[in-house]
Amino acid sequence: MSRFGSLPRRLVHVAIVLLGITLVTFFLLRLIPGDPALAILGSSYTHARAQAIDSGLGLNRPIWSQYGLFMNHLFHGSLGFSYFYHESATRVILNHIPPTLFLIAYSAVLAALISLPIGFFAGLRRGRAVDQFSRVFFTLSFAMPAFWLGIIFILIFSVHLPVFPISGFGSGLIGHLYYLFLPALTIALSFSTVLVRSLRTSTITTLRAEFVDTAQMKGIAWSQVLRRHVFRNAVLAVVAVYGVNLAYLISGTVLVENVFSLPGLGTLLVNSVTDRDYPVVQGVTLVFAVLIVTINLLTDVVQAALDPRVGQEIGT
Amino acid sequence: MSRGFRSRLLGAGVVALALTATACGGSSSSSGGSNGTQGSGTLSTLTIANAVKVDTLDPEANSVNESIWLDQNLYSRLLQPNPTGTGLLPDLATSWTISNKGLTYTFHLRPNAEFANGMPLTASDVVYSIQRSRAYKGGWGFLLTPVKTITAPDAHTVVITLSQPHAPLLADLAMYAYSVVPEKLVKAQGAAFFTHPIGSGPFMVTSYNPDTEVDLARNPHFYGIRPKISKVKILIVPNDNTRVLELESKKVDVIENPPGNLVSEINKTPNLHVQLFPSTRVDFIQLDEHYAPLKKLAVRQALNYAINRNAIVQLAYQGHAVPGSSFMPYRMEYWDSSIKPYPYDPAKAKQLLAQAGYPHGFTTFLITVSGDVAGQAEAVVIKQELAAVGITVNIQSYELTTAYSKEDGGHSQMGERYWTNDIIDPDEVATFGADCQGGANAFSSYWCDTPTINAVNQARSELNSATRQQLYDQVQQAVYTQSPFMVVDYSPYRYGVGDWVHGFHATPLGNYDLSLETLTVSSH
Repeated sequence: MSRFGSLPRRLVHVAIVLLGITLVTFFLLRLIPGDPALAILGSSYTHARAQAIDSGLGLNRPIWSQYGLFMNHLFHGSLGFSYFYHESATRVILNHIPPTLFLIAYSAVLAALISLPIGFFAGLRRGRAVDQFSRVFFTLSFAMPAFWLGIIFILIFSVHLPVFPISGFGSGLIGHLYYLFLPALTIALSFSTVLVRSLRTSTITTLRAEFVDTAQMKGIAWSQVLRRHVFRNAVLAVVAVYGVNLAYLISGTVLVENVFSLPGLGTLLVNSVTDRDYPVVQGVTLVFAVLIVTINLLTDVVQAALDPRVGQEIGT
Repeated sequence: MSRGFRSRLLGAGVVALALTATACGGSSSSSGGSNGTQGSGTLSTLTIANAVKVDTLDPEANSVNESIWLDQNLYSRLLQPNPTGTGLLPDLATSWTISNKGLTYTFHLRPNAEFANGMPLTASDVVYSIQRSRAYKGGWGFLLTPVKTITAPDAHTVVITLSQPHAPLLADLAMYAYSVVPEKLVKAQGAAFFTHPIGSGPFMVTSYNPDTEVDLARNPHFYGIRPKISKVKILIVPNDNTRVLELESKKVDVIENPPGNLVSEINKTPNLHVQLFPSTRVDFIQLDEHYAPLKKLAVRQALNYAINRNAIVQLAYQGHAVPGSSFMPYRMEYWDSSIKPYPYDPAKAKQLLAQAGYPHGFTTFLITVSGDVAGQAEAVVIKQELAAVGITVNIQSYELTTAYSKEDGGHSQMGERYWTNDIIDPDEVATFGADCQGGANAFSSYWCDTPTINAVNQARSELNSATRQQLYDQVQQAVYTQSPFMVVDYSPYRYGVGDWVHGFHATPLGNYDLSLETLTVSSH
């Protein structure tokens, strides 16, 4: 029997969740005081100019017909027309996806590179210097807000020791890796705290497990026991934490994108809410929703792949 | 919301410390960017960091100031405002005549004008561009309501006829919305044209990324002064602290709007300074007459006597603003210099309140914009000073557009607002601020004064400038004494500039295109 048998049912749930999100975003947005005409006109607002803008943007139609039009466009693969950028919202959003996606992936990899060895080591050498030092360091980095840590990094590595650029996305893979190093490190450091703590705890628990004693008694070399039995089992617990926090990390990109002037989805979302650029806000929310739902689904799938016992539970 | 506010202050603290460290340490690390040199010791590129992304390069649809100022480098108009914003200079039109009792304007275009691609700029491009912007929904067409026809009798002449005399016409035509675009290309390419626009200004776009960077190069076909710099880079750096650090590390030459609390720190840093340019910004407090106490004239006057404008200027702008008197922008054309700010006189305020039937004051609210540091400081001072005369003020902070919508519609009481001119003629600010039938309900105060409305309308069609001055004096006096809103101060534009930039200047409308034609950048 397949480990992933209940996947289709999960996918149906995903579709319902996404439909709900379109409804909630669409109507919540229109409940916020102030409309696109006001955001565009600001202090030179007059009723006549606002009416002209509304009729140009189709905002004078009944709200249900506006929602129907939005869904109709959505099923045809279009998110509508951005009021602020004067071009297709789909294109605006597509242009902003690469920096955010790259930043999330980069921070996730950096966080794994930082936290897996340190967390595992801290668990093995419980109470010793490595453990104590990592505990203090990561508690501090977790407590430092991203916008503050980011500025400190800029001060040290861009102003006083000018080795990294202050802002921008760079071009080409190497350029992106170079330009996004400081922002990714800013995110990865606070993300690592949770991973180091949970890996340390699960390593300590796993070390006490009977199968570790059994493996040792079978005469398997200690390094082999650590690699095959302890690390693999300990990491399993971290995967779920990793997945849940990765979703949380997406919302954390907003502040870091602002500090490092990255033209990503987080910045776009905040600006578009301020501009009352309804089509873009709806689109970005949908993209974030898809991203989070996908990560949750993938987390379950990875857990099922790592641990056969989990497979039976997917979808229940 | 308070989180964003705190975050800025915390970050600003770090940057302030860093700047102080640099100031004490003397030398700062200098890492000149990729800036080509030309001649002896001068550089060919100017880099400006703006706080706000570009909305569009289409002049008819621009709504963001930074984009408008960028636009001015790319396009030309029939005329342009002078550097002090008090008069007009020829641009595409070298001369013009007004005939038929002010109903016919004939503009003579310079014969050598070309677009950046070498295509000749003709009168039909001008006619097309004005008509196009006029027709834009929600745009600036309403300014040109009296315009009957716009025609091009030959390739170098444009004739505009009016249904009634319209004094602001020349100022209207000098506005960004009436920039000239090439008819043929815009018709052929539509919206796509404005991602790589071709105009007839001193610079042209070489690369356009509205969220990160827009690069300009000198337009070889420009008819005016050949700029000394050959390239301009506009970077978009939204975070205030990051922008200051970009300037400190000399990666950029000019930054827009450095945070007010860092001004003195920047000035202490070697090779950096903050330049203040008079603007057309007027900060005022909206008073909505739908709230009973604010309908009484004595109460509105009491409010004016109760607030200390000098204290607000100190706390909100560190002294870098001018206490407000007339509702028209500071020292603009027709600004009445005989009007003085209301003196700070709490005793008189109490007396006026008692006279109005509020001897023990009343309770009201004041709407502010969250994250606006200067605005919050202003609100705190007002709350404290009105409390001293018995008025309880509850400060309500909202995000920008929410604040605007709370202030509109007649359900407000007091609200922080500001005005900036789009044209140099007072007609715009008078219509929005003093004419309750002008579309903006006299800055949402709903104050209606028939003599004032008549004066605003009469001044619009009056061509004699002495008579116009009298009419606008009358309007300014009426707004001052009747106080439909409280004029608080005139605040300047702030730019952080490296000492290696010589000659950067912004006009009161915010345009800096004229200075880019002449400024130089030394190696640093």
